[in-house]
Amino acid sequence: MIKLKNLTKVYRTEELESTALNQISFEINQGEFVSIMGPSGCGKSTLLNILGMLDKPESGSYEFLGKEIAQYNEKQRSEIRKKNIGFIFQNFNLIDELTVFENIELPLIYNKINSSERKKRVDEIIQKIGISHRSNHYPQQLSGGQQQRVAVARALVTNPSLILADEPTGNLDTSHGNEVMDLLCKLNESGTTIVMVTHSAHDASFSNRTINLLDGKIVSEKESKLSQAAV
Amino acid sequence: MFKNYLKVALRSLNKNRIYAFINILGLALGLAVSILVFLFIKDETSYEKHWDGYERIYRTGIKADMMGQKMDAPVSCSPMANALRTEFTDVESATRIQTGRQEILMRHDQTKVYIQHIAQADSSFFNVFNYEFIHGDPKTALKESNSIVLSEETKQKLFGDQSAMGEVVNYDNRRDLIVTGIIKEPKGHAHFSFDLFISDNDVKNVWINNGWNTYLKLKKGADFNSFEQQMKTNFMKKIEPDVERFLKVSVDEFFKQGNAFEYQLMPIKDIHLYSHKDFEIQQNGNIMYIYVFLGIAFLVLIIAGINFMNLSTARSGKRAKEVGVRKVSGASRKMLIFQFLVESVIQSFIALCLAYILVIVLLPGFNNVLETNISLLNEYFSQTLLFSIIITMFYGLFAGSYPAFFLSSFKPISVLKGDFTKSKNGAFLRKALVVTQFTASTILIIGMIIIFKQIDFLHNKDIGFKGDQVIIVPIQTDQMADNFRDYKSIFLKNSHVQSVSRASFFPGDLPNQSMYALEGSQEQLPLWNMNVDYDFFKTMSIKLAEGRFFNREQDSDSIPTFIVNETAVNNLNIKNPLEKRLGTFINNNGDVQYGKIVGVVKDFHIEGFNQPIRPMVMRISNYTWFTAFKISPENASSTISFIEDEWNKLEPTHPFRYTFLDKKFGALLRQQENFGTMFLFLTILAIIISAMGLYGLASYTAEQRTKEIGIRKVLGASVSQIMNMLTKDFIKLVLIANIFAWPITFLLAKNWLSNFSYQIDMPILPYIFATVLALIIAIITVSTQAYIAANSNPVNSLKYE
Repeated sequence: MIKLKNLTKVYRTEELESTALNQISFEINQGEFVSIMGPSGCGKSTLLNILGMLDKPESGSYEFLGKEIAQYNEKQRSEIRKKNIGFIFQNFNLIDELTVFENIELPLIYNKINSSERKKRVDEIIQKIGISHRSNHYPQQLSGGQQQRVAVARALVTNPSLILADEPTGNLDTSHGNEVMDLLCKLNESGTTIVMVTHSAHDASFSNRTINLLDGKIVSEKESKLSQAAV
Repeated sequence: MFKNYLKVALRSLNKNRIYAFINILGLALGLAVSILVFLFIKDETSYEKHWDGYERIYRTGIKADMMGQKMDAPVSCSPMANALRTEFTDVESATRIQTGRQEILMRHDQTKVYIQHIAQADSSFFNVFNYEFIHGDPKTALKESNSIVLSEETKQKLFGDQSAMGEVVNYDNRRDLIVTGIIKEPKGHAHFSFDLFISDNDVKNVWINNGWNTYLKLKKGADFNSFEQQMKTNFMKKIEPDVERFLKVSVDEFFKQGNAFEYQLMPIKDIHLYSHKDFEIQQNGNIMYIYVFLGIAFLVLIIAGINFMNLSTARSGKRAKEVGVRKVSGASRKMLIFQFLVESVIQSFIALCLAYILVIVLLPGFNNVLETNISLLNEYFSQTLLFSIIITMFYGLFAGSYPAFFLSSFKPISVLKGDFTKSKNGAFLRKALVVTQFTASTILIIGMIIIFKQIDFLHNKDIGFKGDQVIIVPIQTDQMADNFRDYKSIFLKNSHVQSVSRASFFPGDLPNQSMYALEGSQEQLPLWNMNVDYDFFKTMSIKLAEGRFFNREQDSDSIPTFIVNETAVNNLNIKNPLEKRLGTFINNNGDVQYGKIVGVVKDFHIEGFNQPIRPMVMRISNYTWFTAFKISPENASSTISFIEDEWNKLEPTHPFRYTFLDKKFGALLRQQENFGTMFLFLTILAIIISAMGLYGLASYTAEQRTKEIGIRKVLGASVSQIMNMLTKDFIKLVLIANIFAWPITFLLAKNWLSNFSYQIDMPILPYIFATVLALIIAIITVSTQAYIAANSNPVNSLKYE
């Protein structure tokens, strides 16, 4: 599904230049659950942003579903992104002025889904995630775990083939964190590809494969225990 | 501590140069406008205040309604000043003057100068108005007949550096006058300004002939109301014999016929701004301009103040961290408020300095447009400075207080953790401010268009005559006036002179009024009369409505025949005018001579458009002191030199002078035009300031919503969707502002238009235009900011917030 080859990203300011990603190459297959780990500043988030087409690589190739998209412009990337990718952030990134229902509905609006269809799909996903009684509340009225579940719901509502999660449990306590990880595993089991950036070895253990980054390079890649056990 | 505030304030300004520039420039423009308006109002309200005891000086006037013809004029009869001096214990002094509109040739030896502003005054004039005498004694200067008092400037023109006291000055080749005084230019403005005074102490004892102006000064402590009553009763008795002699009715009957007549007093300090009567000595100012400019200054100040508040809060996000750090380091909220107030006061004072530079730059143009002579460094400078500093402090403290309280309320922990979320409380206030701002701008835009439409309407109004290619030349000597009929052919020899005519006055001058009566009727008709010659209507291209023009075969100046205008026929209800004979007094005994009405002409304008057309009557007469030459458009300048050459041969004593009739008449519109230009200038300024503010607010909003924009983009929103979202909110505000602005402007404009006798119908188009313009301005300013926000990479806003 994803094929990276010699991907490089450089950040420049007036005075210095720092290489965030240095000649990264790897592949992710449909249905995989991949964790990306590494210390702060190793390029995890940059990698995720490029995978999510929020950012453009400096050089190298990025093939998504068989198409080379590394040099696509903003508009083209946006088109692919909104059809195929869902995002989950550490700090949830819900819009404060919108209710739970409206937050989840938002990607459907941008995908030009009509309103009755939207209502059906949002209701469905709210049920599934177990926050239907909160549907008219605003994000501030929810606990962190609930907020992240809303964010997950928002990422899922368009039925994306790829979910990108940036430390999804980083702001949550262990029990809420586990709830979210369970949710992600269930998703993966139903066929959705997941790429997750995490600091937590515990979270990474839920995935099939872990890629370790250091200073913008891949230092190791290993199948995780759980998936080995599964095999 | 203060030094630290100052340092941070200046660095913060330097760091945010564009914001600081918009903020300070907007404020400076606002302050400059208010300083200019302050100077203007100070100047306009300073009239007459330099006279000793000016609060006790009054001008007399009469207000009458005869046969539905209203007359309200600051005129009086010849004996009134004497009566005031001798018959009233409350009167300290009273004086009578008579003024002319024409330039008069004054001569000393071989030096000839035309002087425009001349007063014939009685000997008490300088008791009422304390001119400063350089030479001579104000008490006796006008006592002897043939005395003349010169202004310093006039003395300089006639005598140069030679001494003038006791010397002879010739008046119009008619009289020799002895210089008995030289006066200094008065220190302040007055409703008159004379270049010289000629003594005139003869009293003509007729009470209903009102060709003079009378001023009186009450004694200190005199009760104005009781004096006014006393004066009215006393004078009404005095006119009784004259009314009976001329109007052939008793005073009681006169009033019973529905007529009204009363004497009036007006404090001289009110004349400049409030007096718009017939026969004013000079065109006065108008209190309306003061209100309008005050209103504009107020609106501009509001607009600029709102900018200041909005732009300061717009930067708050960038200052949040500083607030957090300061709080953690021990700053109390009070200290922070103080710091931010210091910052905003510093900004306001930088703006004030800039404002004074702007005032210095703009003042010459301002003076030019309004035809004033205001300087910044006048005797009111300390007041101006104080006024501007108060406003600046107010700006700094009031407009600065909102950002100060807003910023200082941030919670340090959350701000430092980067969890800076916006407060929702300010949103409504900011929206209200933008609505206020755009209401103000829209009012100004609509107002401006309506003013220009009205002025344009007056410009293009059918004035009833053709003034282009007509030059007006005043006749100076009796010899010229007596024989001009025979001289006409001399000028007509030139084929470019199409016609030559004479009249007692031409459009742009003031007409005279006299009493007429239709034969067989006792009713007196007050008509405005004009002496003309046979070619007057042809030269002026005035159109005939019925009957005929004057001609040499049927009319002469010994047996009167009359032509009236349509207004006279309609207002005075003259049926079948061509069958009527009109009578007029021929002497002071009340004897009447009748003549046939031979024609009715279409109305033509004499005065400005603030006066309706008067009922007029024209007759043939040789007593006409202005000539009009209609010349071909080709070779106009050589035709005029031809006329000049011939004229100078005929009237060698007086140098030739001329004006174009259309310019002369156009001058009547000038005050309105000046006003329109000034309004346009202030409106453009206000719009610029508004747009600057909106720009600031749009960037503020975009900044506040950065995270939201990022999220939306990640979720698939396109650039246009984001721009749409950001712009839509502002458009709503602008539309709401228009809902407020429309009715307010409608009322204001209606009020302004009522100043004109001829006004446009209230147009709807300016309202729509202003709304569209406001929308366009809003969309342009907001969408540039929205475009930048929508195009920013969402990663930046989502990564570290």
